[in-house]
Amino acid sequence: MEVVTTTNGMELVYQKPSTLTDTPFHYCPGCGHGVVHKLLMEVVEEMGIQEQTIGIAPVGCSVFAYNYMNVDMQEAAHGRAAAVATGVKRVFPDKYVFSYQGDGDLAAIGTGETIHTANRGENILVVFINNAIYGMTGGQMAPTTLLGMVTSTTPFGRQQAVMGFPLKITDLIAQLPGAYYVTRQAVHTTNAVRKTKKALRLALEYQPRKKGICFVEVVSNCPSGWKMTPVEANAWMEKNMFPMYPLGDLKVPQ
Amino acid sequence: MARKAQSHLPQSIRLRSGNQMMAEGALQAGCMFFAGYPITPATGIFKTMIDLLPAKGGIALSAPDEISAIAYCIGASMRGSRSMTATSGPGWALMIESIQYALMTETPLVVSLVQRLGPSTGGATQGAQGDVLLAEFCTSGGYTLPVLCPTNASECYELTILAFTWAELLRMPVILLSDKETGMTIESVDFSSLPRSTAQNRPSNFAFRDLGTHNRTERKGTYYFDALHEIPPFAPVGGDRKVTATGSAHDKQGRLQKNSTETIDVLKHLEQKISWRRDDFVSVVSDLQPSATTLVVSYGVTARAARSAVQQARNAGERISLLVIHSLFPIPVKKLAHALQGVDTVLVAEENMSGLYRSVLERYCKGAKVRGVNKIGAMITPEEILEAVFEEPWQPA
Repeated sequence: MEVVTTTNGMELVYQKPSTLTDTPFHYCPGCGHGVVHKLLMEVVEEMGIQEQTIGIAPVGCSVFAYNYMNVDMQEAAHGRAAAVATGVKRVFPDKYVFSYQGDGDLAAIGTGETIHTANRGENILVVFINNAIYGMTGGQMAPTTLLGMVTSTTPFGRQQAVMGFPLKITDLIAQLPGAYYVTRQAVHTTNAVRKTKKALRLALEYQPRKKGICFVEVVSNCPSGWKMTPVEANAWMEKNMFPMYPLGDLKVPQ
Repeated sequence: MARKAQSHLPQSIRLRSGNQMMAEGALQAGCMFFAGYPITPATGIFKTMIDLLPAKGGIALSAPDEISAIAYCIGASMRGSRSMTATSGPGWALMIESIQYALMTETPLVVSLVQRLGPSTGGATQGAQGDVLLAEFCTSGGYTLPVLCPTNASECYELTILAFTWAELLRMPVILLSDKETGMTIESVDFSSLPRSTAQNRPSNFAFRDLGTHNRTERKGTYYFDALHEIPPFAPVGGDRKVTATGSAHDKQGRLQKNSTETIDVLKHLEQKISWRRDDFVSVVSDLQPSATTLVVSYGVTARAARSAVQQARNAGERISLLVIHSLFPIPVKKLAHALQGVDTVLVAEENMSGLYRSVLERYCKGAKVRGVNKIGAMITPEEILEAVFEEPWQPA
């Protein structure tokens, strides 16, 4: 194997993908966004599709995704990413199109767009980051917030009688005939990171088959919104989020 | 050993943001229902209502989007519950459909629009006064909607109570047009100086003679009135009378019709009920100086810079008047005409690009030269207003 050396003579054993810009992530310490950004861009680099890839960013913390992902990016209005992605994909059916959305964007204000984009079987990839909270606006209850979970708008914990149940939108998507590949992953351990990368790779490799939507949920954390250290947040996520949002494939190509 | 700081301020003075005071004003006004969706810079109202309203026996709900939030409020209001929601530009854009519905169904409602830099997602943490016309002219047909605009945290409280009063008496949506700086700035508020009043009730089955409301009699329908300006007495859905409400053009019974004489009368009535009372629903602060030839007009956070600029200009010997307008719409024509006496120059200071409010004020300022002090991306400073007053760089004394 060829040994690559850096300018100061050290052996280069790892580097970020060329498909990520040099802009440092603004995300909070421990946040899963940076990892998923990197994985997605690694896959784009490895598949050699940087020139053919178009991303749709959401409103929320990852509104800045275009600062980091070095592909053509378009930020949509809040909740509309999948609908904008539909327009892009219909005009460029042979490009790789993905939307990247959080739980508030995808499963609250954008529920209609999400469901109908999946139901039409649009040939796009939806990357869904589920951290059960609105991070950008200061930690309000999201549709995926767990019962009993304290947020700034559920100061005594989410009560089912008032605010209903956590929305398992990925399970809903998996029921739709327009969905081709639906999976739920995480990025809190090395093993989980590898699995998520594999899922993203599969989802993009499936896209030229034009068989329907590929939907990758990543159960993630929000140390700032959850008021925890990154280590505590990951432990809390494993203990509380995974039972509600179990990891694994929900629908795979037949 | 740490010593507790001793405050020499009266106990009645507390630190509050405009957003918090809007929520507290709503509670004082008897608001019993709030629904919201997170959006900077209006989230503070949502958060405060979530914290305070349930303890008062009210309902505060998180909605999955702004469309739902305002629709929840309309449903609650049609049941008779005073209702409010709060948002910023992008959420306002989604609410416009239901604002029109509330107008058409004569549903009392208070919507706080805390402005940020637009268009679109714009600048979430950047203040602006760019939604003035979007707030007022958001209806098909161009109906007059009351728009109230506070300049500080205390006024957020007072004008919220006023907004509920107007909404209830006129049976229509009222917009509280705040901005990021007014909403999110934490400042001292003297609670002892705040009004203790609550909002008045919406007209029900009895007459409000001063409002020209007709006695409700049986079988006359949900939207019964004689003269176009009369407010139909309110009967809640789910009450002891049958109520039919629709956002479609309708007769006085609330039944969908296209363009019958009665239906056209109902549409005219929607405008008449506010325009007929336009001089009753005025809130301005007139700081007029005899023989002033310059009038500065401003509103919202920019009015605070205008107040400082006018004071400095007077200190420099200039004769100058100030009109701070709270009730942007309906336009306080009489107060404006009074302030314009002897004035040859009007300066309208507002934090938007093209002078949005100036564009609608100009037609009422005939005979005077109307100029704008405008800016986007930062607050207008007193110095910038002074430079416009003197038409030369301002040198502080």
